Amino acid sequence: MAVGVVAVLGSLALGRPLVLFEWGELEQVVVWQLRLPRLLLGVVAGACLGTAGLLLQESLRNPLAVPELLGVSSGAAAAVGTCVAFGVAVPFAPLTPALAGAAVGGGLTLLAVRGATGPAAVLLIGAAVGSACQAVLLAATAVADSREQGVLVRYLLGSLTGTTWRTLAPVAAGLVLVVPAVVLVLPRVRVLRLGDDEALSAGLRPGRARLAVLGVASLLVAAVVGPAGPVAWVGFFAPRLAAWLGRPSVPVTALAGAVVVVVADLVARTALYPVELPVGGLTALAAVAVGLLVRRRA
Amino acid sequence: MRWRLAGLAAVVVVCALAQLSVGATGASPGALFGADEHARMVVLELRAPRVLVGLCAGACLGIAGVVLQAAIRNQLASPEITGVGSGAVLGAVAASVAGVAQPLPMAVAALVGGVLGGGVLWVLVGGSGDVAVRGVVVSAVLVGTTLVLLTARPQLAGAVSRWLLGSLAGRTWEHLAPLWPVAVVVLVAAVLLGGVLDVLAVDDDHAHGVGLAVVPWRSGVLLLAAVATSAAVAAVGATAFVGLLAPHLARRFVGVAHRAAVPASALTGAGAVAAADAVGQVVRVPAGAITALFGAVVLVVVARRTGGIG
Repeated sequence: MAVGVVAVLGSLALGRPLVLFEWGELEQVVVWQLRLPRLLLGVVAGACLGTAGLLLQESLRNPLAVPELLGVSSGAAAAVGTCVAFGVAVPFAPLTPALAGAAVGGGLTLLAVRGATGPAAVLLIGAAVGSACQAVLLAATAVADSREQGVLVRYLLGSLTGTTWRTLAPVAAGLVLVVPAVVLVLPRVRVLRLGDDEALSAGLRPGRARLAVLGVASLLVAAVVGPAGPVAWVGFFAPRLAAWLGRPSVPVTALAGAVVVVVADLVARTALYPVELPVGGLTALAAVAVGLLVRRRA
Repeated sequence: MRWRLAGLAAVVVVCALAQLSVGATGASPGALFGADEHARMVVLELRAPRVLVGLCAGACLGIAGVVLQAAIRNQLASPEITGVGSGAVLGAVAASVAGVAQPLPMAVAALVGGVLGGGVLWVLVGGSGDVAVRGVVVSAVLVGTTLVLLTARPQLAGAVSRWLLGSLAGRTWEHLAPLWPVAVVVLVAAVLLGGVLDVLAVDDDHAHGVGLAVVPWRSGVLLLAAVATSAAVAAVGATAFVGLLAPHLARRFVGVAHRAAVPASALTGAGAVAAADAVGQVVRVPAGAITALFGAVVLVVVARRTGGIG
């Protein structure tokens, strides 16, 4: 929590111009129009992706079951990226294609997974669907000959560059849908994490419950992907961090995800100023480091 | 066996001819011997190198796939799942960000990247045997790093997306020059090593039993796979899943003995790239998009059959 507050203050104050003691017109504009919306998007993106990761990990009982590896993130990103690259206008723009893409990606994974044995097979099938989605996105950018690197980087890796209050509006709409859905699905996740037999004896059909969890996770991811892209590996990283803090619950994971994204974005924005790194690159590197550490200990 | 290989070769020739006859202008392969100077130029200078680069790259990827699957003893192993392919893309993109444009230094950079990518996975996997899932993670992270590099040279976005996908657009004789010798050498080496691959594919005890020093031979053939992958990637980009798809197709036709499976896999790889590019030119997408979609289906099938362990 304390780390979160420090990160929030830091991301409002740091950068060029440095806002510390003076509070003039320039500082006001920078903080209100640029840094605050970006910060909010970072917080929401981290919280949503972290929660999605936790829900999937718990319900599939596999620490590698993250939106990035189940075709959910890449499906959403491919759909939104394709619309952007071709300049297709869809009503409720980033949210509807993202949701459709996430549902298609996750749904394809689930269809292909039916009857497969073992969690490793599930993950690999998800990865296959994910890379097919990425291929669609790459083909779309290549065909549309979009010279904009932003599209490619944002929808393959995730970035918060150029966030304004306007980009935040669909996210807010998504949150209205997402929060009650998470609350509704949580009891099922708690049962699912105990195992299929226990779920059955508690009167829950594991297959259906898992489908519901996947649906909610798709919602969480879709809310974020339009404006920020699938910020890489936050869904893997945040639950790990929360578990390390000792409490792998939804609020803690959401907070951890938010802190991860805000800190990573702060570094991405300031480290190599004026070059801005995509925030997803830093979260991906952090995830590798954590993965290596976990392996060392295991 | 010979007849089956010959049959595969005939299919590849048909695919290549199909690829040779599609394009933006309506020239046909027959124009090579015709009087129309313009059509002859189109076929000779634009389409022929494109076809040959595709065939060599596909063959390299197919060989890399069959060698990896034997050496790691995992049916899911392939350049894109072992980090070698995405490492090679990273190397090639790093070189082009640094301003390198000639095909040869590009291939060296791709090789360094490919070996590093494979090495990272080697360290991560350790003794756990969980190659496939961790390999997917490593590949995803390497692709991420490639995109971070892109921020240094935003104007390369189009080229990078083609590289990540794999495309034969604009390949010339210059790209073929460093590629075909590698393809030939790798093919000959892999066929000669067929017996070793057969032994490595069974298990370590068996290998010790027949007096094969497992560690040096395995490292050697893995390096061979990395060289083959990097040469292909430097020329055409990732061309996802050709290295996974080719060996599985090849084994269906000629069985599991590597002396036949290696050349068959080279043929299926080459044919897959040629067919994908022919289709891709008709529907106007890069060849890599077609191979990635088909390859994803193959990956799903193999993952279901093996339970994801390989």
